[in-house]
Amino acid sequence: MKITVVDYGVGNLHSISKGLERAGASVQVSSSPREIAEARCIVFPGVGAFGAAMEVLRPGIDELRSAISGGVPTLGICLGMQVLFERSEESHGDGLAVLGGSAVRLNAPRVPHMGWNNVSDSDDGLFEGINPDDQFYFANSYVCRPTERVTISETEYGERFPAAVRKGAICGTQFHPEKSSAPGLRLLSNFIRISEETA
Amino acid sequence: MPLTKRIIPCLDVKGGVVVKGVRFKGLTDVGDPPTLAVRYQEQGADEIVFLDVNASVAGAETLRAAVQKTAEQLFIPLTVGGGVRTFEDVRRMLRVGADKVSINTAAVAKPSLITECANAFGSQCVVVAIDAKRSDDGWKVHTHSGTQPAQRDVVEWAREVCELGAGEILLTSMDCDGVKEGYDLDLTRRVVREVGVPVIASGGCGSLDHIVKVLSDGEADAALAASIFHFDEHTVRDVKKELVAKGIPVRWCG
Repeated sequence: MKITVVDYGVGNLHSISKGLERAGASVQVSSSPREIAEARCIVFPGVGAFGAAMEVLRPGIDELRSAISGGVPTLGICLGMQVLFERSEESHGDGLAVLGGSAVRLNAPRVPHMGWNNVSDSDDGLFEGINPDDQFYFANSYVCRPTERVTISETEYGERFPAAVRKGAICGTQFHPEKSSAPGLRLLSNFIRISEETA
Repeated sequence: MPLTKRIIPCLDVKGGVVVKGVRFKGLTDVGDPPTLAVRYQEQGADEIVFLDVNASVAGAETLRAAVQKTAEQLFIPLTVGGGVRTFEDVRRMLRVGADKVSINTAAVAKPSLITECANAFGSQCVVVAIDAKRSDDGWKVHTHSGTQPAQRDVVEWAREVCELGAGEILLTSMDCDGVKEGYDLDLTRRVVREVGVPVIASGGCGSLDHIVKVLSDGEADAALAASIFHFDEHTVRDVKKELVAKGIPVRWCG
């Protein structure tokens, strides 16, 4: 499976690329929205700020929306999951809006939510082979509030919020699988399998 | 289970190699940052910190090469600090594979750098390192690897860096560092209670019990330690076993 990793121009793309390669994919990095819209499989990594990321994507937003809504397997990680929704309290401007809802500021005594946390058990294929006791690495100040039934796993920190979402081939994780050791790498290989089944 | 407490081995790096005498049984290349980082990852470390102890402009390139090589094999977060002076330094370090960058002297010299980085990269990757030394009335911030007093109160500075956009504080007690008699619990607790971001306690770890204390009495979110791990005295797994026994939530790795 050839996967296009979106480059917003900031942050670490190394880990996600290596994680996907280790899980059996070949990776191409791109910052061209039109090129991304033509990809067979897209990963939106989880680094940067909402406004800055959407700035990079905006020139090709219509093509991107129709590709993702049209069934191109997509994984959004952390911030990359938040851009799949309609908007965010973090910055002005629209998100990709392929999922209904928005990202809001996390309500907890200590923000960011930083470290390893449990997630609720999920029977979704994205979590296949993952033990209910396994923990994942989070680093987020915002959380998603979907307006459709897409949440497949939740976590708790100050409040309950989605740890992972899925709608067909559109997947999102609030945690960083590429930084979550063995369970995270397993999730990435599950995503690749889902992508291959969809393609 | 709530969010777990983190155990963070720290590697002092100089010219791209690990210094401060790391001795591992059955490991010949103990100076190689990626080899050691992966070793700690296997032991169950929750994060790794690289600290460039003698940062120079020429050394930055070597450090970035080490970070890049490490990032290819590390599937837990990596924080890099030491000698980070400018926005461009931060950007480049993230580009080669650091997940977070720690800023110390440059943040004191130019506090707006914190905001600039938080806006571009997100607060979650901006760590402000504070070197604290006890004075008559509290603790004073020191810069330039602890050699220069900055005439700033540590607790006030901690509060300020959070307002500026820091996502985490790496708090080192200069009084306790290297002494191996335990973390400065008063200092840690004071800062933890004053700020709304996670605090990593550093300086003074000499035993498993010190880590237990700083994560319970000290109220820290994470504990950083160096020598206790480097000489194979204790593995990260030993630390976690002890924490589990004391009822402190950790990511358990078998």
